[in-house]
This record gives sequence, C-alpha cells and structure tokens, in this order.
Amino acid sequence: MALTEDRRRIALRLMVLQVSVVVTFAALAISFWFLQIIQHAQYQEMADNNHQRTLALRAPRGVLFDRNGKVLVENRHSFTVSIVREHTKDLDRTIRLLAAVAGLDVAQVRQIVGRHRGEPTYRPIVVIEDASLAQVAAITARRLDFELPDVVVEQVPTRQYPTDALAAHVFGYVGEANEAQIGNGIKSGAIIGQSGVERVYNNLLMGEDGARRVVVNSVGREIRTEAELPPTEGRRVQLTIDYDLQKAAEDGFRHAGFNGSAVILDPRNGEVLSLVSLPAYDPNDFAAGIDATTWASLNNDALRPLQNRAIQGRYSPGSTFKLVVATAALEEGLVTPDFRVNCGGGASFFGRYFLCHLKGGHGVVDMRQAIEKSCNVYFYTLGNMLGVDRIHKWAENLGLVGKTGIDLPNEQESLVPSTAWKLARTGEKWYAGETISVSIGQGQVTVTPASMAVMMATIANGGTRVTPHIIRAVDEGGGWRMATPPAVAEQVAFRPQTLSALHDGLWRVVNAAGTGRRARIPGRDVAGKTGTAQVISIQGRQAARGSGRDLRDHGWFVFFAPRDNPEIAGVIFGEHNEHGYLGAPIARHVIETYFAKKEGQPLPVLAPAPGVAPAPEPDPDTVPVEIGPPVASAPQTAPAPGTN
Amino acid sequence: MFERRLYHHVDWGLLIAVLMLCAIGLAQIFSATSGWSDVFEMQIYGVLLGLVALVVCLSVDYRSFADKSHFIYIAVVALLVYVLFFGAVRGGSRRWIDLGAFNVQPSEFVKAALALLLAKFFGESRRGAVTRVDLLVAGALTAVPLIIIAQQPDLGTAATLIPVAFAVVYVAGMPMRLLGALALVGLLAAPVAWKFALQDYQRERISTFLDPAQDARGAGYQQIQARITVGSGGLWGKGFTEGTQGQLRFLPVAHNDFIFSVLAEEQGFAGVIVALGLYLFVILRSLESARLAKDRLGAYLVLGVLASFAFQVIYNITMSAGLAPVKGLTLPLMSYGGSSMIATLAGFGLILNVRMRRFTN
Repeated sequence: MALTEDRRRIALRLMVLQVSVVVTFAALAISFWFLQIIQHAQYQEMADNNHQRTLALRAPRGVLFDRNGKVLVENRHSFTVSIVREHTKDLDRTIRLLAAVAGLDVAQVRQIVGRHRGEPTYRPIVVIEDASLAQVAAITARRLDFELPDVVVEQVPTRQYPTDALAAHVFGYVGEANEAQIGNGIKSGAIIGQSGVERVYNNLLMGEDGARRVVVNSVGREIRTEAELPPTEGRRVQLTIDYDLQKAAEDGFRHAGFNGSAVILDPRNGEVLSLVSLPAYDPNDFAAGIDATTWASLNNDALRPLQNRAIQGRYSPGSTFKLVVATAALEEGLVTPDFRVNCGGGASFFGRYFLCHLKGGHGVVDMRQAIEKSCNVYFYTLGNMLGVDRIHKWAENLGLVGKTGIDLPNEQESLVPSTAWKLARTGEKWYAGETISVSIGQGQVTVTPASMAVMMATIANGGTRVTPHIIRAVDEGGGWRMATPPAVAEQVAFRPQTLSALHDGLWRVVNAAGTGRRARIPGRDVAGKTGTAQVISIQGRQAARGSGRDLRDHGWFVFFAPRDNPEIAGVIFGEHNEHGYLGAPIARHVIETYFAKKEGQPLPVLAPAPGVAPAPEPDPDTVPVEIGPPVASAPQTAPAPGTN
Repeated sequence: MFERRLYHHVDWGLLIAVLMLCAIGLAQIFSATSGWSDVFEMQIYGVLLGLVALVVCLSVDYRSFADKSHFIYIAVVALLVYVLFFGAVRGGSRRWIDLGAFNVQPSEFVKAALALLLAKFFGESRRGAVTRVDLLVAGALTAVPLIIIAQQPDLGTAATLIPVAFAVVYVAGMPMRLLGALALVGLLAAPVAWKFALQDYQRERISTFLDPAQDARGAGYQQIQARITVGSGGLWGKGFTEGTQGQLRFLPVAHNDFIFSVLAEEQGFAGVIVALGLYLFVILRSLESARLAKDRLGAYLVLGVLASFAFQVIYNITMSAGLAPVKGLTLPLMSYGGSSMIATLAGFGLILNVRMRRFTN
C-alpha cells in the first residue's frame, strides 16, 4: 500500500517536472524565434557593423600640366595615422600609447580626438597627417603586437607642388572642406581646393573617393578585405601656363630683389602664360593639412603672402595710364598722331598749374614722342579735351574697368572714375580739373596687374579685349579636349593710325630715348612703358613718417613684343621698387625665354646679381609733380598731388 | 557482473541522443577554435574517457554504488578541500588539480556523488514522508561541498548542487507547504544576500543584466554580443565556420560558455531547434527512466543526476541568448571541458544503469 502510494506520488511529481521542462523548453524555443526570426534584421545589421569597417580611399586629385605637357602638380603618397574608436575599450590609453610611440604631445592628440568626439565611432579620426616613415614603422610594429589595434595607418595621395612655391597663386591650395562647403557631393573631411585653380576647377580635379570594406575582429584588427571600390582619379587638366616663362618671371623677380606681380598673356587669345605674385606661400604646406603655426604666420605676415597681387592688389597705374588717354583721343577722332603740343615744363588748367616731370619742358612733341618721353603736358592736354567720361569709356574698352574675368577666385575690380561714378559714390559732380590728374594715371584710378596685362594685350592685338584664362584643356577620360576659351569681352577694331602711333611710341620707350631701355632685345622689337604707382601723397608721406610702413612707390613696366604682330604681352609690377624701369629686365628675361623656347634655342640664364648696385639713373616717372598755386580762383578740389 | 540480457535493456535512444549532442559540441568547438586545435583534441579525449566512465557506471549495479556513496562523497569532498589549498589557479579561481598532461576539476564530480548519497539517504529511508530532520540532513550534505566550491570561487558550479538536493527532496515527498515556505524564505533572503553574500563582481553582473547598455564595453558587452550573435544567425545560420561573431572573437569563450550562441549563429534557428529537441528528449527520456525505476533509490538517483544537468542546460541556453546574467556555467555535453564531459557521461551511465536494471532484483 505504502509502496503504491509512493509510486503514485513519485509519478505525479515526475509529471509536474516533465510539464515544467517542456514549458521551459517551449519558452526557450520562442525566445530564439524572437531573436533569430523576428528581430533577425536588426541583429544582422549589428553583427555587420561589428565586423565590417568601411575605409574611404581618397581619390588622387587630377594632375596639372603646363601648356607643353610638363607636369606641374601631381600626387605623392603620404601616410595618415588615425584612431578608429569603434572597438576601443580605453581611448585614453590608446591616445597615450600612440603619442608615446609616434613622439607626439599627448595633450595635442587629446585635443584632436576631442574635436571629433561627436562623430560616429566608425569614422577614423586623423591624428597625424603625412606621418614620417619612422612614425609609420613604429606604429605598425606596435599594431602587430595588438597594442594599438584601433590605430589605422593609411596611405593617401597628397598634392605635390613644384619647389620654390612656383606659381603658388595660380595653383592655390587644398584643405579640408569647412562646414559651409559640405554638401553637394562634398562630404565632411573631404580635401577640396580652397584657392586658385584648385578651387575654381575643384569639380574637375577632385575625383571620386573609393571605399574599401574590411573585416575586423573584436579588437579592431583587419582580417581581410571584403570589397573594394577603387577611387576615380580627378581629371587631368592642362593649364595655359608655360613652366619656363613662369620660372623666368619668378627668377627675374628674385634676381631683381623685390616682390611684386607679373601677368604675361598671349595677346592673341588671352591665354595666361605666366602669373606671378610675390611673396608666395608654399602650397605644399597645405597639402597634408596646414599646422596652426604656419597658418598663423602666413596670415599675420605684413607682406601678405596669401594675397594674389595679380588679381587682388589694386594700385595707381601712373604713367602707364597715358596709353588709355592716347587711345581715347585717337579713337574718338579728337586728334591725329601728328597732333603737337608744346611742353614748357608745365601747363595751367582751370586756374591751376600742373607740372611736367622735366623741368625745362620737352618742347614741341607729337604723340609718338609724347609716349616715348612720357610728357605730362601732352596728356594733360588730351585729357582736358576728352573729359573724364570718354577716358572712362576707353579705359573700359582696354580692360581697366571692373574685373578681367580671369578664372581665378576673388578677383578685385579695377576702377577708373567717371562723372556717374562720382555722383553715385559721393553725390557730388565731377570737376573738370580732376580730369587732368586722371589723364596721367593719378587720382582715383586703381587697377590690378591683371587688368594692366589685358590693356597691353588689347593694345597689342589692335582692340580685342581678351578674357585672360588659365585652363587650356581637360582630359575627361577620353583624351585631351580643348577647353572652350571664354568669350572675348569686347572687340573694337582700332584705327590703323592709332595702332601704329601707339606701337611706335611704345617701341621708342624701349628702343630709343625712353625709360624702358633695359627691356631692349636687339631684333625683337620690344615695346613697353614704365609707370610709377604712388603709395602715398607727399603730404601723406610727411604725416606717415616714422610709422614703419614701407612708403616707397611701386613701379610698373607694361610691354608687348614684337611690335608688329605681337605674340606676348604683359605687365611687371614691382612692389616698393620705386622705379618702373627696374621691372624692365624681368620683362626682357621673360621675352628672351619666350623666343628662345619658340625657336628651340637654349633658354637664357640670368647672370648672378651684380655685387654693386648701379647708380640710379634719372627716372622721369618719379620726379615729383608739383602743383603750383592756383592761377585763378578755381574750385579747390585738391586733386591728389604726387608723382608721375 | 554485466549480464548478457541486460544489454537488451540499455536505453539506446537516450545514449544515441547523448552522443549526438557530444558530436554537435565537437563540431562547434572545431569551428570556434578554427580547425584542428589542442582544445578540439582535448575534447575528443574527454568524450572517449567519458564513454569509458559511462560504461563503468553502467556495468556495476547502481545499488552497489549507492552502498559506497558515503565513501565516494567523502573522497570527493576531500579532493575539494585539497583543491582549496593546493589546486591550480586559472583565471583567478582555484578549481583544478594539475595532473601534468591535464587538469581535473573535482567540483564536476560532486554532483553525481551528491546525487548518489542523497538517493541512498532518501531511498532507503523507512519512513514514508520526508521529515524536517531529513531535510536538515540533506541540506547539510549539500551545503558542505557547496560552500567549499563557492570558496574557489566558482559560484556557478556551486549553484548546480542546489537543484540536485531540491529534485531529490521534491520527488522524495517533501510537503508542498514546506516547499512554499522555503520559496518564501528564499525571496525574503534575496535582498539580504544581495547586500552581504555577493561579491562586487557578482552584483555587477546582475545589475548589468538588467540594463546591459549601462556598461556596453564592460560586463554588459558579452550579453549584448550574445544577443547579436544569436539574432544574426537567422533561420538557417551563417554556415559552419562562417559565423562572424564567434570567429572574430566578438563573443568571448565561444567554445566554452557561449558554445550555444555560436551554434545559433552558424546553424541558425533550425540548428537551435535540433539541439533543443535533443536536450528535451534526453531530459524527458531520463525522467521516464526515473518513473520506470525499480525502486525509490533508482528514481531519486536519476532525478539527482538529471537535476544539475537540466539546470545547467536551461541556464546556459538562456544565457547564450543574452537572456540571463552571464555566469561561468558550461553547457553539459557540448561545452569544452574534460572533467565536465566525463562527469556528465558518468552521470548518464548511472541513469542508463537504473533503467537497464529495472527488472533485476
């Protein structure tokens, strides 16, 4: 009896256990169903994120060539060292170890990492750009030891610019896209052009980044590559720049010993053969991310190396502006080249006496002689006949008003005043007396070197105002295709007699008794004109004395060659070099290089700088032009007194 | 000793299911340790030695074992004491006896020894019902090895002794009132235990279980990774040796505590159902053996052996899915571990023994 009861109890309790086990297993099966079937997609994604890491493969930017196919800007391989925090357990340990291994300042690394703290953890934080080989070796050795599994060393293409900062302002520089630039195909962290050609043609040059999906293990170590989308290199771009002419111009400045700017064009089509702005920065400093110290020193430099003087510097044109007045007078039909003026060392207009730079006067001069000798009285007279608005009109036709339209960023507008401009600007009417100063390039005339180059190209080609441009051809993948040149800005066919007078006059400046003799090349018929850009008025000079500012005048030399059917035209602007004629040797070196290259001759080499500076020769452009006392009671408009 | 006719009464179905689970375990260890490894080889030896132990435990009448159970118990407890002082230390706990070629973990053998002793104690009791004195004795017999093992420290293995005692006591006829009272005491004691009995790391494990995200890089990591591992397996799994979570070590000790997670990842829900089915079959079949047992001793012995097995299986699988706090409890028959394998198979030798001899006198 007891036994059967025992049995019954055991059987009952066993059944309870059986049922509980079955229920438990059913619950387990349902749990697994939930995890593996219902929530599968979510966990699958988490598993993928766990073991897959997508690394961006930076696309090399397009190679830049000069007009003859010489490589100007290419790419080199550099190494970046980044931290991927995704599987990092102790970020500070990684930072400390990485800093120790790579020889960096811990605080600085922490700061870099801190800046990117908000980003997704799978995105690498670049700690070292352009790491040295020693650093790479030290880090990869540690990485193999599993000590720094969350540190990634990647090889990335980096921009390689020519040495000596050649043509820096043409190329511009690259840098990480800032907040405002992100979007429209540009992702955070992308390297894009921030200045120059790099910026204007960024879309062509940038290429398309690729990606590599790798499998990593639990400590973040790469196991294998799962898929790779190779990057697409940026388009190859050919510039109109001629490497040898660019170098010749920059060598010329270095040889002459002053800063400044040069713009050399092909007057027939507006192609920029050379564009110089000195002092320059080294674009290589930006290629792998510029460090704060270099950036600050570039920004705080009083010489402003970041400014592209060729298109952003605005200066008074001085005597070179006389060409505008001459063109206007001839084309408006007011005078012929044979129009003569007797220069007695000065002349009175509107009750004031305006000086010529030659005390005794030039005597009777015609147009050609007036240009050759830069006679102020001749151009006072023409300017007075023309009035400011016709000067403005022809300045515009020659390219001295507004922007030239060159394909470089942040170009500044050149300014030649007009009655309408003054009314709009100050609400006052124009006084005819102001025109007299304007007619020798004084007053409110301010122009960029690039616009001066356009003026010379227009005078050289007989009235076609070309738009200077820097891009020549693009390789879209199927071979070189010529870029569509920008439309000609304005076409005014000058009268033959205008041309011959201007060309003859300019030829004489270089080849006869003028101020441009230093640009003379036998047989090349160089034509040119010097000018002085006044930095400060004589009264202002006294006021600013002792302020430490460099108050010496700037010098211009504008030119083209040869006189008949010119092939090369341009401007040499010497900053604080005081004399326009000091730019002439630079022009000569460029022109010599141009013809030597064209004819297959060995390129000229500049003789080493002379040990003793030659005695300054008389410079008619810089003899102060004094304004005499008013002869009659004329309105005191106080035209800017100053130098010629 | 081993009579020929007994051969026909061996529960071949149970034996085959047990061996299939061993085979699945071996395959997953092979996968988790990337091919033919020392770990894999050791496990094969474990299975082979386990089968020897199974045959030994099957050959001798379980009543003879029960008669000697107090000696077995004392011997094993002595080993535990030895380990406490002279055992080999690994991973911060002292659990093993170093025998040169391999280590023995005596705590694994305590379960069977305790089951034998308790089965004998209650099975040969002349009294009909379980008295409180009986309960106290059973509690003391359980507590001695439990406390020693907890000192190693190995709370997981220590905990597996409680189901042994409970199962035997329960089936032996403990009054339900008492059971209810015990449950109540346990419930009330939990906060006290939380405060005083648990180590910091144990408290941390439980609190991270309740909210794994609070420590996603530390203690909660394994739990989150376990769920990802299981969930990413889907219906059919990623394929043998194709799992990313286990193979790339996102889930630690994939060949050991988390072997079922890796099975779920590589073989999917389908593989999980097969393995769960096999375990369920083994447990129900063993319960059937208890029901068929010739005497109470046999029934209690089966229950005692089965209780720790079932407890470990259920807890480990729940943990594998990230649904229970992570605890160093292995999955019997599948996880890597020689002592565990030998002890488990020896236990099944006893279970088969009871069923096989259900007709003998």
